[in-house]
Amino acid sequence: MLKKTSIAAAVAAASALILIAGGCAATSTGKAETAKPAQDTAKPAPDTAKPKAVDYTAMTPTALAEYLIFESGSYDLNQPTQEGTNGRARLTQDEIQKACTLKKSEELSDKAREKVMALAAASIRYPEGGIKLGDWKKGRQLAWSGFGFRTAHNPDKHGPGEAGGNCYNCHQLATDRTGGTIGPSLTDYGKIRGSSPEMLKYTYDIIYNANATFPCTNMPRNGANGILNDAQIADIMAYLFDPESPVNKH
Amino acid sequence: MFKKTLLTLAITGSAVLVMGAKAPEDILDALARKTNNAPYLVQSPQNRMMMPDNPAYDVAEEGAILFKTPRGPKNVSMEKCDFGKGPGVLEGAYVELPRYFADAGKVMDLDSRLAYCMKTLQGFTDNDPAVKVKHGSGSDVMKLQTYIAAKSNGMPWNPPLNHPLEKAMRDAGEVMFYRRSGIMDFGCVTCHTKEGARIRASVLPNVYKPDEWTKAISWPAYRISQENVRSSQHRLIECLWQMRYPNMKNGSDASIALISFWTDAARGAPAILPDLKR
Repeated sequence: MLKKTSIAAAVAAASALILIAGGCAATSTGKAETAKPAQDTAKPAPDTAKPKAVDYTAMTPTALAEYLIFESGSYDLNQPTQEGTNGRARLTQDEIQKACTLKKSEELSDKAREKVMALAAASIRYPEGGIKLGDWKKGRQLAWSGFGFRTAHNPDKHGPGEAGGNCYNCHQLATDRTGGTIGPSLTDYGKIRGSSPEMLKYTYDIIYNANATFPCTNMPRNGANGILNDAQIADIMAYLFDPESPVNKH
Repeated sequence: MFKKTLLTLAITGSAVLVMGAKAPEDILDALARKTNNAPYLVQSPQNRMMMPDNPAYDVAEEGAILFKTPRGPKNVSMEKCDFGKGPGVLEGAYVELPRYFADAGKVMDLDSRLAYCMKTLQGFTDNDPAVKVKHGSGSDVMKLQTYIAAKSNGMPWNPPLNHPLEKAMRDAGEVMFYRRSGIMDFGCVTCHTKEGARIRASVLPNVYKPDEWTKAISWPAYRISQENVRSSQHRLIECLWQMRYPNMKNGSDASIALISFWTDAARGAPAILPDLKR
């Protein structure tokens, strides 16, 4: 249900964007036409099909970047995505992404930080019946898998294989496999922290939308963006907390 | 007159000696020493060992033949193609790309400039395999690119920014580098602004360190895991794939903008061409 809602929201957002883009195109055509004398309307259609000459050097870097992404034909904006949206939706920034796009040595303002944390906190939904631990063996597979949601030249087909959690890409977990270092090491996660209800909630929140705890983190919003479902999050949580999990045994 | 020619010969000769003296692995070793063994540069001793026998050399050799052979409907060679330093001048041309080309009216990278010359000089069309097939060691495009790029081995990256369009593309590329989007909120910035950070076992290059970033952008390189020589454009779509972005058109303006920024980020550091990577 939850996932369906978020997909519907994304589709709605994408169609709104198409409307906006359509609106802009209509406006610029309108402008060009109003500049012409009225008798032109009787003549054959004006050369609207001709691409307008766009002066890249007259744009700000940000305006040019947006133009290159959405108007220059560089990306396949209609490419379907696994969540039912399209390439345009993947490239369109939401509020959190906009706030978290920071240039070199640019720091997040206090106001933006509060906004990101509030938006993220509001996105977090808890499973019916509370946060529970699932199967750590399944969680181990999910933590290792980097499959899913990739598009570009070689789209992942979600039918035969379910999308993974990508955890090892950035984190060290159990030490029998090599994890990345973009995020902190999570080796001995449960052993060090225990598994109190507070600790489970803290961890669930980070997996679901880490921006509520660490604004503008590199970590994907696994729950909020529909990357992982409730059962998958429960399995990954078990991998982190279960005393039998290799994360806590080495 | 005679004296002048001699002098030019001597200068050219010594330049070739100075540059020709360093193989790609020597350049890499020197960068490793200079950076106190930056983890990105020294992550694979195996790959380093294979560099003298880089399969990319064979690809470059095939490229040399293709370059000089009259081809296409117009039956001319590529020797009249201007890569920015005059028709047929290849030495140091690649480290000064992307650049603005007045004849095309746009900023081009090596990939798109090659396609432009194959079409305008040789008469190929976009649908001819010579132009259309962009990837793989067996493609004309990769043979030619590998040959041309190797003529810039050891030279410092120096993409021109004098033309307003070159500057505009580089600056837009910088914005795109930091821009986060997609279902996983990724941008180039997510992986490429820390030194020594890893995705799983792979050490990632840091855009802020020209001496390690140069290896990251030294394409064409032979990729061991793919058993093919790969281009900058190929690196780009693979990154976009991992970032969960949609597909990008080869030679598109967005790709040129990103490559303009990433080449500028390596400015001054010597190119390693051809390189060999995981």
